[in-house]
Amino acid sequence: MTSVSDVVTSVFLLAGASSCLWGAVGLVRFPDTPARLHAAAKPQSFGLLMILVGTALRVTPGQAAPLVLVALVQFVTAPVIAQVVGRAAHHGDAISKDNLVLDELRQPGERRPSDRQPVDRGPDAGRGDGPRSP
Amino acid sequence: MGIRDRLRQAWRRRTGAIGLVVVWLLLWGSVTPLAVLGGVVVAAFVVVLFPLPPLAHRLRVRPLWLVVLLVRLLVDLVVSTVTVTREVVRRGGRVRTAIVAVPLRVRSDLLVTLTANVVSVTPGTLVMELDRNAGVLYAHVLPAPDDPERVRHEVWAIERQVARAFGPDEDVDAALRRP
Repeated sequence: MTSVSDVVTSVFLLAGASSCLWGAVGLVRFPDTPARLHAAAKPQSFGLLMILVGTALRVTPGQAAPLVLVALVQFVTAPVIAQVVGRAAHHGDAISKDNLVLDELRQPGERRPSDRQPVDRGPDAGRGDGPRSP
Repeated sequence: MGIRDRLRQAWRRRTGAIGLVVVWLLLWGSVTPLAVLGGVVVAAFVVVLFPLPPLAHRLRVRPLWLVVLLVRLLVDLVVSTVTVTREVVRRGGRVRTAIVAVPLRVRSDLLVTLTANVVSVTPGTLVMELDRNAGVLYAHVLPAPDDPERVRHEVWAIERQVARAFGPDEDVDAALRRP
């Protein structure tokens, strides 16, 4: 028997699945690591969210509660991982120069952030009270 | 660290501990007295056994601006999914990318982190590097913009919204002071 909730659920699940699929295609087609991160970060997060919503509609609130956690963890961790991998890619020259039309992170003659001395992490670290590099 | 210091820092993190109890209840999927008790015990253990350095200063949550930020986040996620998918289909291996430097105004670590998180969900941008000393965020942009200024203004708009949702007053002022 088909009800409204069946239709709504399938719309969410299919939207989520196809979004994840396009993310996967992007992983294959994009030329370098950072571009692949875009494909891995956004369509995947969105796809997962859609699938979670679709699932939550069909289960009891008690069963849906852990799904909130899944979404939360995804959105807290995905950008962090993307940044860590992205910066590793930049340091390791895993970037396709043919595709990169502008790189303000590595201007000629400019020091890279990795060249800087380690930061003293005092109690007020990051408040900008300490000496600033140019 | 003495036992007294440990308990003091644990008491400072009581809001975070409440958050842990909520996570625990979400995991169990039910609110029974036993589950709440278990959550409180676990949260107390976590904050006492794993001390964290104090946040440099307190946050001020403004619920209305927080809702604005969350709605923006959802809309951005949809738009950026469409953007990436379009590039996957149209350009694939010939996609054009760019890395744009964006100087930030907010200074507190937490606000910088949140801004970076939102930027990574925003259409076309992913944070690649954060220069904490200089307060500069480097965004990887896909597809490459015609004008890098446009990306900078987008990031600044996010920074303003994050500061409004969470920031202490001086950070909000700093974020709004941008020309």
